[in-house]
Amino acid sequence: MNQLLAIIRKELIHIYRDKISLFLMLSMPIVLIILFGFTISTEIPNAKISIYDQSEDVQSKRLIQSLTASGYFQVVNYPKSEKEIAEDFSQLQIKAAIIIPPQFEKKLISEKEVELQVINDMSDINVASVIKQYIETVILNFENDINLTEFGKIGQLKVSIQMKYNPELNSVYMFVPGIITLIMIIITALMSSITLARESETNTMKMMLITPVKKIHIVLGKVIPYMALSFLSTLIILAISVWIFDMPIKGNIFVLLILCIVFMFTSASFGLLISAISKTQLDAMMITMMGLFLPTVLLSGFLFPLDNMPYGFQLLANIFPAKWFILALKDIMIKGATFIDIWFYVAVLLFISTLLTIFSVTQIDRRRAS
Amino acid sequence: MSVIQVQNLNKSYNNLQALTEISFELHKGEIFGIIGPDGAGKSTLFNILATLLAPDSGDVSILGMDLNRDYKKIRKEIGYLPGTFSLYPDLTVLENLKFFAAMYQSGIRENLTMIMPIWRQLIPFKNRLVGKLSGGMKQKLALCCALIHKPHILLLDEPTTGVDPVSRREFWDLLAQIKSYGISVLVSTPYMDEVTRCDRIALLEKGRFIVIDTPPQIIKDYKGKLYALKTTQLFYLLELLDQYEENCSFYPYGEYLHISFYQDVEQAVIRFRDFLNQNQINYNSFQEITPILEDCFIELIKKNRDVHH
Repeated sequence: MNQLLAIIRKELIHIYRDKISLFLMLSMPIVLIILFGFTISTEIPNAKISIYDQSEDVQSKRLIQSLTASGYFQVVNYPKSEKEIAEDFSQLQIKAAIIIPPQFEKKLISEKEVELQVINDMSDINVASVIKQYIETVILNFENDINLTEFGKIGQLKVSIQMKYNPELNSVYMFVPGIITLIMIIITALMSSITLARESETNTMKMMLITPVKKIHIVLGKVIPYMALSFLSTLIILAISVWIFDMPIKGNIFVLLILCIVFMFTSASFGLLISAISKTQLDAMMITMMGLFLPTVLLSGFLFPLDNMPYGFQLLANIFPAKWFILALKDIMIKGATFIDIWFYVAVLLFISTLLTIFSVTQIDRRRAS
Repeated sequence: MSVIQVQNLNKSYNNLQALTEISFELHKGEIFGIIGPDGAGKSTLFNILATLLAPDSGDVSILGMDLNRDYKKIRKEIGYLPGTFSLYPDLTVLENLKFFAAMYQSGIRENLTMIMPIWRQLIPFKNRLVGKLSGGMKQKLALCCALIHKPHILLLDEPTTGVDPVSRREFWDLLAQIKSYGISVLVSTPYMDEVTRCDRIALLEKGRFIVIDTPPQIIKDYKGKLYALKTTQLFYLLELLDQYEENCSFYPYGEYLHISFYQDVEQAVIRFRDFLNQNQINYNSFQEITPILEDCFIELIKKNRDVHH
């Protein structure tokens, strides 16, 4: 046990002394998430919208006026049916449609809440969220306006957003599970395989192997610090996603964290496998990049939907743990899945990690020729 | 009493025979030197004795334990300093020492007296990163790390390679001190001047031990008479000597040419002088000298090559 702690402490000193790698490891999640999150400019002047006015009374006309006068929107059509709205989306390429309910004025006075339906084109999450904010701003001004003038206190206007084209948020928050996956792979698999390869390269592995220390302690001592770091990075990613990008986590946060820990072990087992088959740090880096990183980016459904791929690739995707991890993560975040719902994914991940760990530890042969 | 017994040890990599029929004993409390050119198989032998490499055949027993069966127990009893620098450059001197002490589960304090003669020199640098130490200091620290668990046997694979002459002498003084604690030392070196400080030496050439003996005995066993010739036309002379068909051998040694004659020495010397005069070689001196170890080794290696070709 003391030996294990000594190896962990030594590894932490390595990490701490290598300031550039430490900085990269901690800043990478932030940079990645900001890059993915803000790649599209958020300035959208004169967004095209349609307004379906079902009540056509004084107040609804005033609301339309506020919307057009705001400068944010260009109202390109006033459809008369929901079918026409759908046509506007496809033909006029509107970004959103607003539906004002019948008897708008009456409801404003008599009811506590008046629902205003907004249909948003969610194919581009950044545009959609900006437009949502614009609409909310205009409506808030409108409410204040009425309150100050004729009616006194009116019922609150509630904006209900209806998502079009992308109702399950496919690909919208998709980048968060994807980034967690990449970070786990980079820190846990890549960094730990590099650090193990470095010990072989500098002959210090030889020095450790001739001491009475157990092989498993060497491996654990080298990997645990990187697992801890990748967990920290995951927490940073989740925090940024929730607080800056309003990412929903419908499921239990603890189930989500347990899932992340399981995937951390899977990544670590890949790190062991890579270090078992590579002799130098460069080998470790190339093998991780070509054998693990690229397949994860391409075949996990992170950037490219798996459904559109040839059948062979879909099959191939199954052996990379990223696919299972991302599926489980999405289920928890978007569908609010419980542990029982994702047990199969977790089992697959555990199976892969156990298999790889057993294989790799036996590969670190004490009598490896120098 | 011997602490290491090696009998008919063989080791090959793929089809390359690295060690052939190696047999020797390391006695308790002696410094046993292994000298040999690069690629002779020194490091392979050390890796096998350090339990890092399994031999193909042969019996190795260390402190009465069988190498193949009891290697885990053996590890606690040996200290090993590999041929390549093997400490952590981004850790400080003290951190390295503490780490290896922890690996052997031995406390630094209890064993400090043992390493004190070396450690004393390192104390001023104890918080310095090892990567920033000089070569000699690095090796002294490596020696401390190899001694921190009070081993019975110390295996040193070229400990002074790349170390300046002053530090090399200090290092050998330390070895003498370690020996006085009753630790047996097996050390390899490419430096001739260091071998004389060993109790016994073995000459390793192409994976075979050509000779194992004490340094004085090896000199005593030198066959033939050795002459030294000083000339300014050394390279020209060496070319000429390619065609010289006499029973003698020669090799340049600094600014001298060393020639050894085997039979009928007086006549051979006269014939050699004639050869020099015929070819108008100017020489300052040409006289008999007593061989040193290096001459003996060159002689032995030459003879060995003649036998095996």
